[in-house]
Amino acid sequence: MDFFKNLYDWIDVRLGMREIVSEKRSGYLLPPNINAWYSLGSVLLVIFSLQIVTGLLLMLYYVPDIDKAFTSVAFIMEEIPLGRLVRLFHAVGSSMMLMVLLLHMFSVLFMGSYKSPRELHWLTGFILLLLAMGISLTGYLLPWNQLSFWATTVATDCVSSIPFVGKSLVEMLRGGKQVGIHTIGRFFTLHVGLLPAVITILIGVHLFLIQRTGVSTPPFGLDDSTNQWKNEKFVYEEHPGGIPFFPNFFLQDMISISLYFACLFVFVFFFPNLFIPSTSYVPANPLVTPSHIKPEWYFLANYQTLKLFPSEIIGITVQGVAMAFLAFLPFFDRGAEKHPLKRPVFIRCAIGGILLWLGMTVWGYYS
Amino acid sequence: MRQWVAVLTLLAVCFIPPNRADAVSSQVIVCVQCHAALNGQLSQPVRLWQDSIHAEHGITCNACHGGDPMDSANAMSPARGYRGVPLPTTIPTICGGCHMGVVKYYMNSAHGRALGRGGPTCVTCHGSHNVIRASLDLISQKNCTPCHTFDKARQIRTAMVKTDGMLQAIDKRIKVLKSQGIVTDTLEKRLFSLRNRSHSLYHSLDVNLIRQESTHIQAELEKSNGDGGVGTGPLIGILAIGGALLSALLFYVIKKQIN
Repeated sequence: MDFFKNLYDWIDVRLGMREIVSEKRSGYLLPPNINAWYSLGSVLLVIFSLQIVTGLLLMLYYVPDIDKAFTSVAFIMEEIPLGRLVRLFHAVGSSMMLMVLLLHMFSVLFMGSYKSPRELHWLTGFILLLLAMGISLTGYLLPWNQLSFWATTVATDCVSSIPFVGKSLVEMLRGGKQVGIHTIGRFFTLHVGLLPAVITILIGVHLFLIQRTGVSTPPFGLDDSTNQWKNEKFVYEEHPGGIPFFPNFFLQDMISISLYFACLFVFVFFFPNLFIPSTSYVPANPLVTPSHIKPEWYFLANYQTLKLFPSEIIGITVQGVAMAFLAFLPFFDRGAEKHPLKRPVFIRCAIGGILLWLGMTVWGYYS
Repeated sequence: MRQWVAVLTLLAVCFIPPNRADAVSSQVIVCVQCHAALNGQLSQPVRLWQDSIHAEHGITCNACHGGDPMDSANAMSPARGYRGVPLPTTIPTICGGCHMGVVKYYMNSAHGRALGRGGPTCVTCHGSHNVIRASLDLISQKNCTPCHTFDKARQIRTAMVKTDGMLQAIDKRIKVLKSQGIVTDTLEKRLFSLRNRSHSLYHSLDVNLIRQESTHIQAELEKSNGDGGVGTGPLIGILAIGGALLSALLFYVIKKQIN
């Protein structure tokens, strides 16, 4: 014990660790009525870290080449100790990351936490969601199996409906007319290099913004649930009499993270084929088109929406407008009220939107 | 949204596309191109072949009929090895070019010894263009009794039932393992080899030899059946989930105490 105390003293003298701990215990106070939904951000940080660690481990053996990609993934799963587990953590983890991201977004939406002065928090979070979908899409192709090959062919094909430049854009994205050797190179570069770097930077910006403004007060359990912010000068939202981040809310984070791992383990150990269907184990064959090509679950609603419109460009425009509206929601929704039940128009639109998205996803799955 | 994600990705990358496409184009041999377009009997072999095990494995017309399937002008030139409809006496040799084990047993059997004297050739039982995957159904009253009684054929069939059942069961199991992402290459190669050995043996028409060898093949198949595990059992999964739930509970208790 003396050793650890001496070590702690040694570090404290040099870095002021006790000051940081003390500051986090008493200085960084959170709203007294904070709830478990606020811990989803920490869960997402853990998921992203796990994706990086498992991704790096997979990169030790993965070969981004159309002749070797499939066999290298098979080699990882069969020959490398715990390789199967690492790959499943990575593949299932990407879907879970998007699920938790959506839950995080819905909680922010319903609690009105995106309202002023947190417009940039929402916007950076929204861009992070798009980037997470992008990193999932690019990673999906890499195992070079039938499902990934054809799903990527369909996904990239949609870009061709953009007027004038669509066909050139598709060629640029694929590195040729078809999904092939240059596509896997590009997607690999995006998946392991550019996108993780941009996501890491944006997470940093997102956290910086939260640190600067302070954590928003949840609208529940308060007489006055309106937004107190005045558009006059910068004010850090303090929570006198609130609960310390460490150890109180840190423990809530740990509960949520543990529950997330329990869910991840359920899928990884008992339902891995829910996210990796059997067609994922057939090598890509450009000459054999599977009967039903479906994108991943998070693109099913977009896929089904595109099919509903007579022209793809209308479908793309409608989705683009909807996405832009969602991205810039804090700039449209200027009302002070944060409690969802006191915002009847909002609650109807939000629940309707979520049900529509779910309905289109289910329809896309069964269509 | 998918499209916008793709466009954003594109803008971020800005790579210059190379000029050539990477799609592999399928090649249809000239025999199929011409005969499929002909009327009546001349197009029938193409239709029959398209559903055959040979088509499934890419064995095309020239394997039996010779000729050059890539050159329409000389496709049927004897100078390019075109032999037309093979003579019955040459059929076992042509088939034996690929099915080497089978032809060895066949030639030494009563069937092979009767070759050229009204005895059956390969196509008598297996067909010529619509060659289907060999199975026990080929040994039937319909196929055997035009030439002789079914008694001995029945004995051979009975001796083969168990081995054939095991071959089919392992084949199904390989499909399941494949659907779970298990690499089955070694298992498939071993099954292929044992199936060939077993199917070749049947052509000897020697009941004792078939019974004796089938025992060895079945022992080999039993060994193959043990290969290709799924990996971690459910116990590790249950322990992992239990551990995660337990730590959640532990953190909850600590949190309650602190609060």
